[in-house]
Amino acid sequence: MLPNRLEARMTAGQRIQVFIQSSPARMAVIISVALFAITVAINPRSLNMAALGSILLLTLVLSFASAGQTMVLIGGGLDFTVGAVMSSAAILTTYVMNGQDGRFLLVFALAIGMGIGVGLLNGICSVKIDLPPMIVTMAISNVVTRMQYVLTQGNPGGYAGPKFVGSVIDKIWGFIPSLTLYALLLVPLVFFLLNKSRFGKQLYMMGNNPTAAHLTGVKTDKIRILMYVFSAVLSAFAGMLGAAYMGTARCQIFDEYAFNSLVAVIVGGTAFTGGIGSFAGSIAGALLMIVLSNGLTVLALSQPVRNIVQGVVLLLLLIVYNRERAVRQ
Amino acid sequence: MSNAKRLFLHFRRTPAFVGFTLFVFVLVLNIVVQGPTHFFSSRSLNTLFSKNMPLLLTTMAMAPLLISGTLDISIGIQLALVNVVSIMVFQEWGVSLYVGFSMGMLASLAVSALCWALVSVVRLPSMLASFALIYVVRGVNVLIMNKPQGKVPEAYYKTYDSLIGGVIPFSALILLFVLLIWLYLMRTKFGRNIYAVGGSPRNAFAAGINPVWVQFQASMIKGVITGLAGISLTLMTASGNPLQGEAYGLRALSACIIGGLGFGGWGSMACAVFGAGFLVTIQNTVYYFFNLLYRIIPGFTVTSYWQNLVSDIIIFFGLLMTIVTAKEQREALRQGFVKQFKGGESATQ
Repeated sequence: MLPNRLEARMTAGQRIQVFIQSSPARMAVIISVALFAITVAINPRSLNMAALGSILLLTLVLSFASAGQTMVLIGGGLDFTVGAVMSSAAILTTYVMNGQDGRFLLVFALAIGMGIGVGLLNGICSVKIDLPPMIVTMAISNVVTRMQYVLTQGNPGGYAGPKFVGSVIDKIWGFIPSLTLYALLLVPLVFFLLNKSRFGKQLYMMGNNPTAAHLTGVKTDKIRILMYVFSAVLSAFAGMLGAAYMGTARCQIFDEYAFNSLVAVIVGGTAFTGGIGSFAGSIAGALLMIVLSNGLTVLALSQPVRNIVQGVVLLLLLIVYNRERAVRQ
Repeated sequence: MSNAKRLFLHFRRTPAFVGFTLFVFVLVLNIVVQGPTHFFSSRSLNTLFSKNMPLLLTTMAMAPLLISGTLDISIGIQLALVNVVSIMVFQEWGVSLYVGFSMGMLASLAVSALCWALVSVVRLPSMLASFALIYVVRGVNVLIMNKPQGKVPEAYYKTYDSLIGGVIPFSALILLFVLLIWLYLMRTKFGRNIYAVGGSPRNAFAAGINPVWVQFQASMIKGVITGLAGISLTLMTASGNPLQGEAYGLRALSACIIGGLGFGGWGSMACAVFGAGFLVTIQNTVYYFFNLLYRIIPGFTVTSYWQNLVSDIIIFFGLLMTIVTAKEQREALRQGFVKQFKGGESATQ
C-alpha cells in the first residue's frame, strides 16, 4: 500500500518488517504451511488424506466459532461465552435429537434461540449497564456452564442423528469432509455481514471511534447488542456441528474454544482495540492454531512440553502483532 | 453536621463502599441462615478463614496490579507453581519445608517478573499475555511434578489450622500481616505513584514518574502475596498437585471488580478484601441455606450443582449491582472536584 518512492528507499530489513506486519492473515497462512512442512519433514507418515481431512474439518469448526468473536472484537468488545454456548448447544443437540434426524429443525430452533438469549444478555449487560465485557461475559459463561450441570445432572445423554453426523464427517472424493458444504453457506454469509451489509460498515466505524460513529448517527448501542447476538448464534451453530463431529456430548466439552477462538482471531490480525480485522484473517488464524496443535501431536511431545510450546508461540505472535504504543510516543 | 455522619459521608465516597455494603449484606444473611451461635463459634470461624485464605490472598495480590493498570489471569496456576516447588524441594532435596517455601516464593517472584516484562516492557495486552503464561506455567508445573503427590508434615498444617489463644485463627494472621505491610507502603512515595501510573501512564511519565518501574514494584508485591497464597494452599491441602488452582485467577479478578476496583487507578486494597469476603461468604451462605432447606422441607434433595448455580448467579448479580452504584460514586467524586475548583463555595455544606 505504500507509495513506490517510499518503498524504494527502504532497507531490506524494513521491507521484511512491512511484509510481516502489513498482512497478518498472509503471514498466518505462510507460517501454517511452513509448520506443516516441518511436521511432514520430521514425520513423513503424517502426510496422508485422513490427516489433511481432519485438519480441514477442525479448522472449519474453529473458524465458525471465531466468526462471532471477530465481529465482537472489531466492534471493540470481547466475548468469553463462545465456549459455554458451544458446549450447551452440543448438549442440547445430542439430548433432544437422541438419534432421530427428524428433530433437526427443532434442535436448530432451540440452539439458535438459546444463542439469541445469551447474546442479548451479553449485549445488554455490557452495553446498557456498562460493565467491562471481559468480566461480564466470563460471569455469564460461568452461569451458562452451571446450567448445563443442573439440567443434565452432570451426565448428558443422547447422541446426534446418524444423517446429521454423516452430513458433517462423510468424505467427499475420499478426503474433503462434507462439513465444507456448511462452510460454503456460512462463510459467504459472514463475509456479507462484515463487508457488504450496513451492519458491517457501522460495526467497523464504531470499533474505530465510537464517539464519532455515534455523532454520525450510528445507533451504537443497537449495533453492539447485535454483534453479541450474532456471536452467540454463530457459536451455537458451531456447537451443533461440533456435536455431530463428536457424536456424543458432555458438560464443558467445547469450553476451550472460548480462548482458542480468541487466539485465532488475534493471530489473524484483528486488533484488541477494535475497528481493524477481517474474517479471512480469522480463518487463517484458525488454520495456524490447528496446524500447530496437529504438529505437536505428530511430534509426540509430552503434554507439559506441548503446553509450554503453545504458550510461547502465542506470546511470540502477540509480540509480532499486538504490541501497544510506548508511553513516550 | 455530627462527626459520625461526616465520617460516614466520607466513607460513602470511597471506592470500597460498594464492596463493603455487599459484604455486610451477605454477612448478615450468612449469620441469619447459619444461626449466630454456630457462626460465631471459633471453630466455624477458623474453618472459614483457613479454607478461604488462598482466595483472599490471591485477590489481594491482584489488587496492586489492577491499581497500577495491569492484570494477571495466570495468578491461579501460579499458586500451584508455589505448591509444586515447595513440595518437591522439600521431598527431593531432603531439606526443611521452610527452605521449600522460600524456593516457592522465589518461583512466584520469578513468574511475576516475567509477566511484568511481557506486559510493561514488551507492552503486550495484559489479558492475553497472562493467558499465554497459564499454558507455560502449567507445563512447567507438570515438568516439575508429573502427578499429584507429596505430604506436608503434620506439625505444619496443624499450626496452620490452629487457633492462637483459642480465639484468633492462625491463617488470619497472614492476612493481617499483608494488610499492615500494604498500609505502610501506601504511606510511602510508591503509594502515590501507583495511582498516578494506573490512572494514566502517559501523564505520570510526563510528571517524572517511571511507569515501568512502578509497575515492577507492584508486580513484586503481587509476587510476594501470591507466594503467601501458594503457601497457604500447600498448608491447606497438605499435598502437592501441579494442576490445581487455575480457577482462582478468574475468581480473584471478579472479586476485585465486585469489591469496586477499576482497571487502573481506581480502588484500594479494602476493595479486594471486601470483594473476596463477598465471594467467600456467598459460597458459605448458599451451603448453609441448602442445609436449612433440607431440614425444613422433608424429602427435599438437590445435587451440589444447584448450590454452584445459585452462588454463580448471585455473583453475577453482584457484578451488575457494583457497576451501577460505582458509577454514581464516581459521579459524586467528580462533582466534588468540580465544586472545589469553582472556588469552594460549597466546601462547607
